[in-house]
Amino acid sequence: MFDQTLVFLQALLDQTGAVNITWQNLVMIAIGATMVYLAIIKHYEPLLLIGIGFSCIVANVPGPPDVPGGPAISALLYAVREGGLFHYAYEGVAMLIIPPLIFLGVGAMTDFGPMIANPKLVILGAGAHLGIFVALILAKLLGFTLSEAGAIGIIGGADGPMAIFVAVKLAPHLLGPISVAAYSYMALMPMIQPPVMRLLTTKAERQISMAQLRKVSKVEKIAFPIVIAIIVNLFFPPVAPLITMLMLGNLMKECGVTERLAKTAAGPFMNVIIIILTVAIGGTMAADKFLNLETLMIVVLGLIAFVFGTASGVLTAKIMNLFLKEKINPLIGSAGIASVPIAARVSHIVAHEENPNNYLIYHAMGPNLAGVFGTAISGGILLALLGVN
Amino acid sequence: MQPIIPDTLQGAVILSVIDFFLSFIIISGIGVVLAMFPLINRIGTTRVKAKPEVVRHAQVADAETEAHIAVIAAAVYATMGSAYRIVSIEPAHRHAEWLTEARLAHHTSHSPYTKH
Repeated sequence: MFDQTLVFLQALLDQTGAVNITWQNLVMIAIGATMVYLAIIKHYEPLLLIGIGFSCIVANVPGPPDVPGGPAISALLYAVREGGLFHYAYEGVAMLIIPPLIFLGVGAMTDFGPMIANPKLVILGAGAHLGIFVALILAKLLGFTLSEAGAIGIIGGADGPMAIFVAVKLAPHLLGPISVAAYSYMALMPMIQPPVMRLLTTKAERQISMAQLRKVSKVEKIAFPIVIAIIVNLFFPPVAPLITMLMLGNLMKECGVTERLAKTAAGPFMNVIIIILTVAIGGTMAADKFLNLETLMIVVLGLIAFVFGTASGVLTAKIMNLFLKEKINPLIGSAGIASVPIAARVSHIVAHEENPNNYLIYHAMGPNLAGVFGTAISGGILLALLGVN
Repeated sequence: MQPIIPDTLQGAVILSVIDFFLSFIIISGIGVVLAMFPLINRIGTTRVKAKPEVVRHAQVADAETEAHIAVIAAAVYATMGSAYRIVSIEPAHRHAEWLTEARLAHHTSHSPYTKH
């Protein structure tokens, strides 16, 4: 009787995931929990980190194995597998449907006025992309193929949809770790960037206030998406889908006759896309896939790319100051890394800490928006030189 | 399409150098295009002879100012509630919209009473 009860209990236990949990699962659960903590307590990009962190936790809570003796599969991984809900969410990412839709929403919520008002600052959008190439060369040194190295390097552009886009074109098998690294570091930029920014600037430089240059007219704001869409489609067809959607969203915002569409694209529609994207990315963070040497190398290279991108942006701004009569605050150089508006916000906050009367956010948005085009241009050239359409 | 760059370390360096500097040139080109954007504002405009400045009577100006203060106070009450009061009204500074907007965004970014 007692033995039979034990057998029943054992059978019951085997139906749960409790016996299958490994230390790797615990590490990943801790990483996911840290993301949720940073989102809630530190307010580090909660829209991204809540979804990614929660999915990471759940993806590492093992269920029973599919077949006796086989690997434990979590409930979320069931959903990610073929036929499951998030399989289709992930397919949306892998089939390059989600990234252009994100850009549509970003365009509908972005004011490109600061970029139009101060054209010389667009240089920072290229200057802050040295990280891409440092990571690319290091990846090649570590034994990745040139296509894989290019896909890894683009993490340094700090542009999630672009990183996904280039990864799918160059190295689709690395899409999971590349998207995780790109979005995780974008969300963690308030931790990564400030030490680099402070290291490369003096207190006096960080306290520089900047004057608004001019007011951008409505006509200019309407012309901007049309002109840029023509330029990008003409010269950078490989990345045209993303920038075209960005510009369409922006035209909806600025034209003044499609307020409903702009509100939907920037609001509920964007929120749905964020939910799908973050859960699809977090769902790929299962320990067996994530805790391997290749993924860890990609994660480290992504961090190096972000650090070098931040540094090169600040240094480019300092070089520009050698030639400019009216000095710019070099902290806005780091905003040239594309992540909108996270990088601009970091520049603003670091400057505000140094000088409480300094509100740099609009000045930083110029290079930040230029960074989106900088990443697109770098990605486009990369795809062209590597022979990808 | 065949890759133009060889899959070697040297190829990675060449690719990086070309891409980095080409990005600079192209984004500078975009900067030049943006620098010409103010010209768009001239399209369809004609030179209008400047009208002589109208000097208002001081009493009228005072009355208008008082009316403006009442309207601004009502607007602040309607949008922000009774927890706020106007402590000073100053002439609007030209080209200070970014500063004003940024200050407002900064100070209300974590306010539970602000509609985002």
